[in-house]
Amino acid sequence: MITTIGEIVRGDAAVFPPYLYEAYRSTLRRAPRLPLVEVPLTASELTRPRLDLSHVTAEDADLTRNAGTGGEALGQRIIVTGRVMDEGGTPVPGALLEVWQANAAGRYIHKRDDWPGPLDPNFLGIGRCLTTDAGEYRFLTVRPGAYPWGNHENAWRPAHIHFSVLAPSWSQRLVTQMYFPDDPLLELDPILNAVPDAARSRLVAAYAHDVTQPHWALGWRWDIVLAGPGATAFEAREQSAA
Amino acid sequence: MSPLPATPSQTVGPFFHDCLLREDRCEVTVSDEGGAQIRVEGRVIDGDGAAVPDAVIEMWHAAAFARIGTDAEGAFAFSTTRPKGVEVDRGTMQAPHLSIAVFARGLMNHLLTRMYFEDEPSTETDPILRLVPQARRPTLIARRAPDESLTPLYRFAIVLQGAGETVFFDFRSPAR
Repeated sequence: MITTIGEIVRGDAAVFPPYLYEAYRSTLRRAPRLPLVEVPLTASELTRPRLDLSHVTAEDADLTRNAGTGGEALGQRIIVTGRVMDEGGTPVPGALLEVWQANAAGRYIHKRDDWPGPLDPNFLGIGRCLTTDAGEYRFLTVRPGAYPWGNHENAWRPAHIHFSVLAPSWSQRLVTQMYFPDDPLLELDPILNAVPDAARSRLVAAYAHDVTQPHWALGWRWDIVLAGPGATAFEAREQSAA
Repeated sequence: MSPLPATPSQTVGPFFHDCLLREDRCEVTVSDEGGAQIRVEGRVIDGDGAAVPDAVIEMWHAAAFARIGTDAEGAFAFSTTRPKGVEVDRGTMQAPHLSIAVFARGLMNHLLTRMYFEDEPSTETDPILRLVPQARRPTLIARRAPDESLTPLYRFAIVLQGAGETVFFDFRSPAR
């Protein structure tokens, strides 16, 4: 794919996509043009206020049932699980994961998604959970479909699940998308291709037969590694300064 | 041990509302830790000066977190407690500020900025603001709006690109 690629990147340029990536048209008028100002992390970025997470229930992680209709979503039932870690491999417990996705036919419930793919009355396509003490998360859902978008002629997004990760340190905030391997649309997708070559495969889940449950659901494993220092870095700094 | 390869970011896209802006979305205000109530009204603008109607703003300080979507005019508004100063390191204080993250379709990674207060004397000597080229500092300072009500109102524009482009930060680990 030949495209203009901007030089402004927040974080490690070997990992994170540039703000300007011409092939993804929406970046043209939204990417900053002036260099980011490099400043040191402070307590404001290394901590966060304690969130009220009491609303998060086990049912929230079951997207096949959480529409609350009593019916089950249509599509290939899948389990998506993995571990949230920092760059040192230490699990990140208590992170809030929020996910959203199209249904099996590639349609979002969102009011602005108006292509003629069928809606599923038993599927909202939204879920959330908290990571365990071992940093693990697990969602039960259906495999999302690909869907068309207006970026270029005959443009289709590959099947994906949006992930938002709120860790105890704001410096580790991450919003990203998880893809499925062997999808012919991956190499045509400017949003995925904006990620540097070497880092792109980290957004693709792996089929995991040990996660697959007989006569029930196929298993996919996808680990998330959060860049940047965790909340413990701030505590350690405070202690060394004391 | 060599570090694990970090997971790259992707855009939040246009379809996040039902998930990220659901009614019971875990917001907090720890009212006993902050100061008096303030209100902030802002707009998110793109490189054509057009409203960004599908952005989501996350605001936090030591005593509060809020997540707000922009409306058709690109406008957002929230109330919070007035933040206190925060230490950079032991002994060095920062001026009171709100930390702000901006997510939107077309943003491949969220943008990080800060909102300082024009009527706060310590803003002038804030150690982070002093690292910003002087001509661009005003983009980070909210204006106190004349307002009849008891709650102070601040206005803050977030310009993603072009004339008056907001300063966005890349926070780096300080050298030990």
